[in-house]
Amino acid sequence: MRRLLLLLVCLVSVAARAQEELENPGVVLAVQDRTYRMNSELDIAFTVLPLDAFTKGIGGQISYTYHFSDSIAWQIGRFDYNYNVATGLRTQLQRDFGVNPTAFAQTNWIAGSDFMWTPIYGKFAWLNSSVAHFEIYGLLGLSVANQRISNDIAAGTTSTTFAPGLDFGIGWRFYISKTVSLRLEVTDNVLFSSRGVQNIMVLLLGVSFNFGSTE
Amino acid sequence: MRATLALVLALLSGLALAQGQPAAPPAPQGPPAPAATPQGAPAARTAPAPAAPAPAAPGAPAAQPAAGATPAAAQVAAEKADQKLFDEALQDYFGDKKESAARKLFAYVEGTPPTDENHPWAQYFLARCFIDLGLRHAGAVYLSKVARERANPQVLPRTLEALRTLILVPHDEVLIDEQVFGSLDLGFLPESVSDYANYEQGIVDLRVGNERWANTHFAKLDEESVEASRAKFALLVTRLRKLQGKEVPDEMIEDFLTLSKDDKLTLEARNEARLAVARLRYERKDFEGALKAYEMVQLPSLDPGRATLYLEEAWTRYNLGQLRAAMGLLTTLDAPSFRDQFLPDKYILRALVYRDLCHYLPAKRAAKELTRRYAESLDAIREREDLTLDDRLRRAASSHGSTKRAAKFLESLSLEIEFKARYAGGFGDRLFSQVSKLYDLAYAEGERVYRQRIKESVREEADKLLRAAEQVRLMEYEVGLKLYERIKRGAKLVQPEKETPIGPGQEAFRFDGEYWNDELRSYRVSLPSRCVEEGQL
Repeated sequence: MRRLLLLLVCLVSVAARAQEELENPGVVLAVQDRTYRMNSELDIAFTVLPLDAFTKGIGGQISYTYHFSDSIAWQIGRFDYNYNVATGLRTQLQRDFGVNPTAFAQTNWIAGSDFMWTPIYGKFAWLNSSVAHFEIYGLLGLSVANQRISNDIAAGTTSTTFAPGLDFGIGWRFYISKTVSLRLEVTDNVLFSSRGVQNIMVLLLGVSFNFGSTE
Repeated sequence: MRATLALVLALLSGLALAQGQPAAPPAPQGPPAPAATPQGAPAARTAPAPAAPAPAAPGAPAAQPAAGATPAAAQVAAEKADQKLFDEALQDYFGDKKESAARKLFAYVEGTPPTDENHPWAQYFLARCFIDLGLRHAGAVYLSKVARERANPQVLPRTLEALRTLILVPHDEVLIDEQVFGSLDLGFLPESVSDYANYEQGIVDLRVGNERWANTHFAKLDEESVEASRAKFALLVTRLRKLQGKEVPDEMIEDFLTLSKDDKLTLEARNEARLAVARLRYERKDFEGALKAYEMVQLPSLDPGRATLYLEEAWTRYNLGQLRAAMGLLTTLDAPSFRDQFLPDKYILRALVYRDLCHYLPAKRAAKELTRRYAESLDAIREREDLTLDDRLRRAASSHGSTKRAAKFLESLSLEIEFKARYAGGFGDRLFSQVSKLYDLAYAEGERVYRQRIKESVREEADKLLRAAEQVRLMEYEVGLKLYERIKRGAKLVQPEKETPIGPGQEAFRFDGEYWNDELRSYRVSLPSRCVEEGQL
C-alpha cells in the first residue's frame, strides 16, 4: 500500500512536470558578453598570518598571475614577506617565565606558485541602482616557507630553514573596473619539515591590476 | 544710489554664476535705478503713484505719502518706497528667502506700471522665485510676460534662457512654444537664443503644413548648431509623413542614418533616427538592414529602454526566421518595466512563434491571453461605451505623442497645485489668490486640451486592439485545425536546429522570472521544434 502511494506521488509529480513543459516549453537564458575578463594580473596585497599563538605575521605579498581563459589561470609566482609581531602570550612567557625569545619559530617569508580555477562569476545589484560583478576562485599549488627556528633554546641560537609544502585556498574577486579588482583570499599552507607538518594560514586583501585584456 | 546700483549688479553677476554662465557685462545689464539718469528713469516715473503700492509688503512703510504732503513729494516718496521694496526683494531672493521675495516682488509688480524700468526685472525675479519654489508654471507665466512685453531688452536674454530650461520639462506648449518662441521678432534676439527661436518658429510652420516658411527659418540656423540637426530631423519626419505609403527614397533613409550618427543630437534623438531607419527598412522588407539599425540603438546603462523597440525588433527577427531570438525579446516585454504597456501585438507574435514551432497548445493559450487580458476594454468597445473611461485604453492613449505631453503637463500642474498650498502663509493673501487663479485657469485649460487629445488617441488604440483581437480569432481557428490534424504513419520529428553555443567571453544566467535591466536585450530561448516531417510509407 505504501509503495503504491509512493508510486502515485511520483507519477503525479512527473505528470505535473510534463504538463508544465507542454504549456510553457523552452528554457530562457540571459546570455551576455562578460563585462570583466582577466589576462595578465599583478596583485599587491596585505597579508596576515593569524594562526600562530606566539607571533602574528603581518606582511605584504606581490604576485603575478596569467589567465589562460576566464576560468583557468596560473599564479606563476607569489612572494609574501612577513613582519612578526609578538602576541601577549609570548610576551608573558618571556617576562614571567624567562623563556628565551629565540625559542619561538617564526615565518619570515612564503613563496609559491598556484593553479587557479574560477568556476563562479556573478553579479549583484548595489542599492538597486548599479550592478557589480565578482568571481569566486579556488587555488591549489606549491609553497615554500622560510622560517627562523631555535637551534638551542638555552643557548639562544637560531637558524633559518626552508619548509616546502602544498597550499590550497579560496578567494573572492570584486571588480572595480576592467583593469582594477580587489581580491580577498584565505589560503592554507601545509608545510613539511623536520619538526613535522605545520599549517600556516594566510589571509590576504589585495588590489589587482589587469593588463592586456582579452577583449 | 551708486550703492544700490552696485548691489543689484553684484547680485545679478552672482545669479549668472549660479546659473553656470559667464557673468554678464556689468554696466548695461543691471536694472538702472530710477534716478540714475535724468532722462531714463524719471521718464518712466511720469505715471502717477501706483494704485496699489504694496500695502501688504512689510518692507514698504513709506509707500503711502504722508498726510499733507504735496502730490510731487508724494510721488517721490512712493518712488523711493518702490525702490526700497525692490531692493529688499532682491536681498531676500539672494538671501534664499524666496517666499518673502516673491511677495515683495509681486507687490512691486502690482504697484508699478509696465513702463517702469525695474518692472520687467521684478517680473523676472518673481518668476525665478516661483521656479525655485517648485511652481514652474507660475514662473513660466511671468517669464512669458517679460518675453512678450519686452519692456526692457536687457532682461530678455535671461528670460529666454530660463524659458528654454522650462521647456525641457512638462510645460504649457501654447504659452511658451507658440506664444513666446513661435512668435518672437527674431531681429532683436541675442544669438544665444535666436537659433532656438528660429527652430521653434520653423517647427510651428511645419505643424501647420508650411514647409517653405519653415525652411526660411531653418536656413538661418547655424549649421553647427544643435538646432540645425534637430531641424533636419523634423523636416525628414514631415516629409516622411507626406509620403503616406509611397515608396521611401533611399536618400531619406541615408539622411536618417546620417542623423543617427550626429553627436550634436541627444542620445534620444539619435535613437529616434535609428528607429526611423529600422522602420523604413522594415517597410521595404529589408529585415537584415532593419535589424542592424535596431542593434545600433544605444541605451544608457541599466535603462530598460522602450517596449516598442523590443517589439519591433522581435517582429524583425521573426521575419528573419530567428524564432527563438524573437521569443527572447517577448520575454523581455513581460518585464515589470513594460507590464503596463499596451502591446496587443505581443500576444499575436508569441502565438505565431509557438505555432511555427508546432507548440499548438501554448500558441492557443498565448493568443487567448490577449482577449483575456483586454476583455474589459473589448467589451467597452463593443458596447460603445465612453472609451476614455477605460483604464487600459486611457493609459495606452496617454503613453505617447501629444496626449502624453498633455497628460504630463496636467500631472505636473496637479503637483504644483499641491505645492502651492504650502505657501499660503508666506505669499500673503494677494499673491496667493493671484497664483491660485493662475493655476485654476491653467488646470482647466490643460484638462480641456487633454480631453480633446485623448478622445482621438483612445480611438486609435481601440482600433489597434480590435485588429489584434481579429487576428487572435484567426490564429485560434488555425491552431485548432493543426491541433486535431492526423499525423501520418512514418512521420518523425524534424531535426532539431543547432543552437548557438555560449562562446568564450560569454556568460549565461538562467532566467528564473527575475528581471535585471542589464539583461533585457540578452534573453535567448531554447525551444525545441515539435514539428513532424511527412513520413515515407
